[in-house]
Amino acid sequence: MKRASMGLSLKGTSAATALAVAAALMLVPANLLPVLTTDQAGKNRDDTILSGAIELWKHGLGAISVIVITASIIIPILKLAGLGWIIVSVRRGPPKNARRLTRVYAALDFIGRWSMLDVFLAAFLTGLVQFGELTMVEARSGIVAFAAAVILTVLATQAFDPRTLWAAGPAPLPAPSP
Amino acid sequence: MTCRLCGLDHRSVRLAPGETARCTRCDGLLAKGRHGGDFPLVICVTGLVLALPACFLPFISAGKLGAERISTLFTGVGALWDNGMRALAVLVLLCGALLPILLLCTLAVLQAPARVGRWIASPELLARAARSLELGAIPEVQVLAVLVALMKLGTQVNVTIGPAFWCYCAMSFCLLLAQRGFDQGAFSERPPERGALKES
Repeated sequence: MKRASMGLSLKGTSAATALAVAAALMLVPANLLPVLTTDQAGKNRDDTILSGAIELWKHGLGAISVIVITASIIIPILKLAGLGWIIVSVRRGPPKNARRLTRVYAALDFIGRWSMLDVFLAAFLTGLVQFGELTMVEARSGIVAFAAAVILTVLATQAFDPRTLWAAGPAPLPAPSP
Repeated sequence: MTCRLCGLDHRSVRLAPGETARCTRCDGLLAKGRHGGDFPLVICVTGLVLALPACFLPFISAGKLGAERISTLFTGVGALWDNGMRALAVLVLLCGALLPILLLCTLAVLQAPARVGRWIASPELLARAARSLELGAIPEVQVLAVLVALMKLGTQVNVTIGPAFWCYCAMSFCLLLAQRGFDQGAFSERPPERGALKES
């Protein structure tokens, strides 16, 4: 019975695994391709996520740079790493640290949304900064790949059922002492 | 009441305002005691009222060497659409405007009938819809993105914040409050289990 249950758990994590792998693959073009092009008085400048954040740092906007790097680079990687850890733990058998993994899952579920920051940023700048030959900002293909990576990460998190962590049915927490 | 994280069933208990109920197995949050009877509904309606000016009034205006451009909440969506990035435009439109408004509507519909002494047919379904909408309704991320953009633009252009931006910020805040005040447990039913648990 336990063996059959584990087999079904593995089947349940397959979709999450596939989506997480797709998200990891999509993060490569997302970070290598330019996300924004700025045309200022005839001078073109392409920025990737990282180069844009570094540029902010160089202009003395360290805090903003840290926010962008955290939301656009660190969170997606952390989320995929966390999800990978959970999926591998489930595939190895009933996890002994199910409570900790459940907390990690809840945290991943919460932080994922903040990765959309760069997508909104690109959309906003593309809409606002349109001054013909003076200054123009245009979104580039990197932002599409990045948005796809974020969506795939969210879908991977949702595809994983955290209840599979408890398939073996560990005992409830001890009742709090009066 | 079933824990959404580990699937353990619990007996429902009435919570005092500010109290929280946690799962006895995984320690996940099950429910929160709500403050004030009408507060969540009032905050939903306020958010919906604020959504109107947020959508239609000037959001941010920018000027450079005499040229001026006024953007609304949907200007960025239009620019992406014109740029050929239509899927991205739809995503920004959904996450930044449509889903937050839809979520506010759903939360209001869930709570309004009880205030007027009537009950809706399937509140569990609406509660689950609200939970799904929460995934995509992320106006607070858009607010942060706009603030980052304003800092980034810095001295390159003259930026003036329009009334729609403040309304949008207030709407986002109302949505956060409405979500915090919404008692998911009051409407939840046991969701269909997936994977191993479905069969075991």
